[in-house]
Amino acid sequence: MLEKMIFGRYIPGDSIVHRIDARAKLVFVFLFIAIVFLANNWITYGLLIAFTLTIVAVSGIRFYFIVSGLKPVLFLLVFTFLLHTFFTKEGTVLLDLGFTEIYTGGVIQGIFIAIRFFVLVVMTTILTLTTTPISITDALELLLNPLKKIKLPVHELALMMSISLRFIPTLMDETDKIMKAQMARGSDMTTGPFKERMKAVVPLLIPLFVSAFKRAEDLATAMEVRGYKGGEGRTRYRQLDWNLRDTVAILLLVVFAVGLFLLRS
Amino acid sequence: MFKSNTRKLIAVAMLSSLSFILMLLAFPLPALPAYLKVDFSDVPALIAAITMGPVAGIAVAFLKNVLDWFFSGSPTGVPVGHMANFVTSILFITPVYLIYKKVTSSKGMYLGLVAGTVSMAIGMTLLNYLVFLPMYAYFLNFPMETGSALMNTLVYGILPFNLIKGAFITVVMVLVFKKLKPYLDKVSQSYQLT
Repeated sequence: MLEKMIFGRYIPGDSIVHRIDARAKLVFVFLFIAIVFLANNWITYGLLIAFTLTIVAVSGIRFYFIVSGLKPVLFLLVFTFLLHTFFTKEGTVLLDLGFTEIYTGGVIQGIFIAIRFFVLVVMTTILTLTTTPISITDALELLLNPLKKIKLPVHELALMMSISLRFIPTLMDETDKIMKAQMARGSDMTTGPFKERMKAVVPLLIPLFVSAFKRAEDLATAMEVRGYKGGEGRTRYRQLDWNLRDTVAILLLVVFAVGLFLLRS
Repeated sequence: MFKSNTRKLIAVAMLSSLSFILMLLAFPLPALPAYLKVDFSDVPALIAAITMGPVAGIAVAFLKNVLDWFFSGSPTGVPVGHMANFVTSILFITPVYLIYKKVTSSKGMYLGLVAGTVSMAIGMTLLNYLVFLPMYAYFLNFPMETGSALMNTLVYGILPFNLIKGAFITVVMVLVFKKLKPYLDKVSQSYQLT
């Protein structure tokens, strides 16, 4: 579990999807989320699947990782599918179960929603599988930069975000250590009556808070000593550069959206 | 917001990571459906609010959800669940902060936590009715529940769940607060000086 958190879900690679600018990928995914809602018949939903699977293929990520990204939402996916199957009463009766009837409209609706789910989850999964959280943060900061005009603390939020990301593995390590230390002393957080379990959480939380504040103090001192004084005029270590392929990727998506718009009923 | 206050910024970032980790350690409650999970991720947000002010608490709640969105994504594309979680945290933190600011003692903290639980439960029931359930319905293309079915979901599902969740956080927060108060006073004083 600890190793898994270090890069989020990032899987290193050298595909075109990996190399596209993080800003382009973010814009791409946000546009895609909107575009998915254009689909409303078999052709358009089919195209959505084809488009998504093409990107999966291009990204060179093993299908296994995509499937494990789907696992947490599987319950919701099956649940919505069944809900539509049983409760949408359109079209002709497909199956008479006695207590209720299943209509063709319901099954079709269910399949459509399942496809929408599938492509949305796969697309956002690809974003996080091919981009490190830190470059997503950088990209968000650059994309939201204009909002500084309305006094949104974009730089501060991005800074907090990247510090949080950096310290998740560290603090997780610490959580693990403290948990084991308390277990070695006979504390049990997983079994026993609920009251006892609640009490067992406290000796875990207190050292965590104290050390989080201490770490923050140390880091703040280190940063101030090195002359950190906010976002104004600060240069960057990690540079993002926008290339032709990024523009092309966005344009391709626009073309795809126009196609969907023409084919929808 | 925190212009030039690096120390606060970093403490908020640290508490956000902690909050995110605690979110991962969520557990289901006995006797309630498995997808309604309780976690203690609001405790760091509360600590941030009482030591560094309400904006810090809200920032922790915000960053926690952004982090979780990065790491687990959202099935609806638009992160409705994360938005709901963020609003829940605000509804819980604000009353605690306001009451604790007036009565800076353990008693104030207890009162605040109870008020926070009530505000969270009532606020979320209303918001689910007005905003989040319709949003889910829209994005998942659900037929929106109406009439008594909707009332049942709200009154027997969301309301008691938030009350129970609030009660758990209250219990843990009270236990933590009892032990940690001297330390927290020191910390909050050090942030007021800068």
